[in-house]
Amino acid sequence: MAPMIVNVALGVLVGLALLGAAFDRRSILLVALAAALPDLDAAASLVVVGATNALLHTLLVPALAFGLLYWDTRLRDRSWLEDRYGWYGSRVAWVALAAFVVAGIGPELFSTDGVNLLYPLHDRFYTVVGSFLLSSQDGVILTFVDRGEHLLWLASPGTTADHHVATWVNPTPGTGLETGVEREFYLVETGWQLIVVVATVAALAVRLWEER
Amino acid sequence: MPSTVVHAGFALLLAAGLLKGAYDRRTLAILLVVVTLPEADTLVGPWMDGAHRALLHNLTIPILAGIVVYWDTCYRERSWLRERFGGGGIRVAWVVLFVHVFAHILLDYAHLEGINVFYPVYDRFFRLEGELLVSTADGVIQTFVEFETNPETGEQTADVGAVGTTADTHVANPVELSEDPEPDDPILLPIAERGWELYLALTGLFVLIARRLQNRDSE
Repeated sequence: MAPMIVNVALGVLVGLALLGAAFDRRSILLVALAAALPDLDAAASLVVVGATNALLHTLLVPALAFGLLYWDTRLRDRSWLEDRYGWYGSRVAWVALAAFVVAGIGPELFSTDGVNLLYPLHDRFYTVVGSFLLSSQDGVILTFVDRGEHLLWLASPGTTADHHVATWVNPTPGTGLETGVEREFYLVETGWQLIVVVATVAALAVRLWEER
Repeated sequence: MPSTVVHAGFALLLAAGLLKGAYDRRTLAILLVVVTLPEADTLVGPWMDGAHRALLHNLTIPILAGIVVYWDTCYRERSWLRERFGGGGIRVAWVVLFVHVFAHILLDYAHLEGINVFYPVYDRFFRLEGELLVSTADGVIQTFVEFETNPETGEQTADVGAVGTTADTHVANPVELSEDPEPDDPILLPIAERGWELYLALTGLFVLIARRLQNRDSE
């Protein structure tokens, strides 16, 4: 999975982009936390087999949150969230939800580890990797989509039973806390991730400096 | 290069974070032009060796542009930018510069043979490649800058990712796939060559649509 710091950086960028007038230290922190939240399922994988990139990376969690938020802020006569925190609360909640999906789940889906998108209803990891080129000889070359025998038209590295996403919390397949194994805590895996993190720090510094 | 679509996606994401009310059509049009423009150095490629990723992909141009904008807005008695476009124009100028540096130049710095950072002052391509992690076995590991000690002389050298000069470096692009392109080479136009590239492009699109919906709601 993408390092958590990259998830947080992307979450901050989504927050800066969408919070608008609701931007302040507290709201950007909440949005950053929402982007980091899905990675906590790595801890759950010590108890539940294959929970990494499944338990909190499933789209069912944000779908449920979306339903609740939509019902509360749009359908009800009086929104609990808006009564309590006003327009600010509603905006921050929606942006945090966007950060959870786009910055928390997204980067993992578009890398080789994959995400168990519909866990636990449909237990299968999916990845969106490949390329999309236009060629003057071969026309459109699109390998992101894979019409295999799986439910979704995407490549799949396996199910919770046979696909383990290694993390520093649980580097080896299976459950249980092991001792004596090498653990690697990644901050940045590649050059582009470093650029994203640096760009985020710069953009956040500018916005916070203006906010003073 | 990560394709222009990928640059544009990251640019839309960054610009949305830095432009508050000014995220309108006119600004976005300027932004897209600035994001696309550096690729024009591919067109010079057939006449000049190593032009792509050197001529317009460097930090020399944005540094100079930054100095000019700073001089115009802070030192001159009457700023041309402010008189022509108002206070908002100054902000847009800085944001465009920021986005150009991060979403285009530095993103290319981390891709293929990198960019010719200080061309034409100092002709050398640099690329950013590596990882940063903490391992229980080996402690902090970073491979972006590699230090080596010559065992004979004890001299320390740092490898910061220098690749070559315009004379011997060619970065593949749709105009020239290789150093000596064949006439029957296909024209390959990449949209996204990796998952993360598609991700950045889609995230930019998402932010653009979300901002549009927010504007519609507030009207």
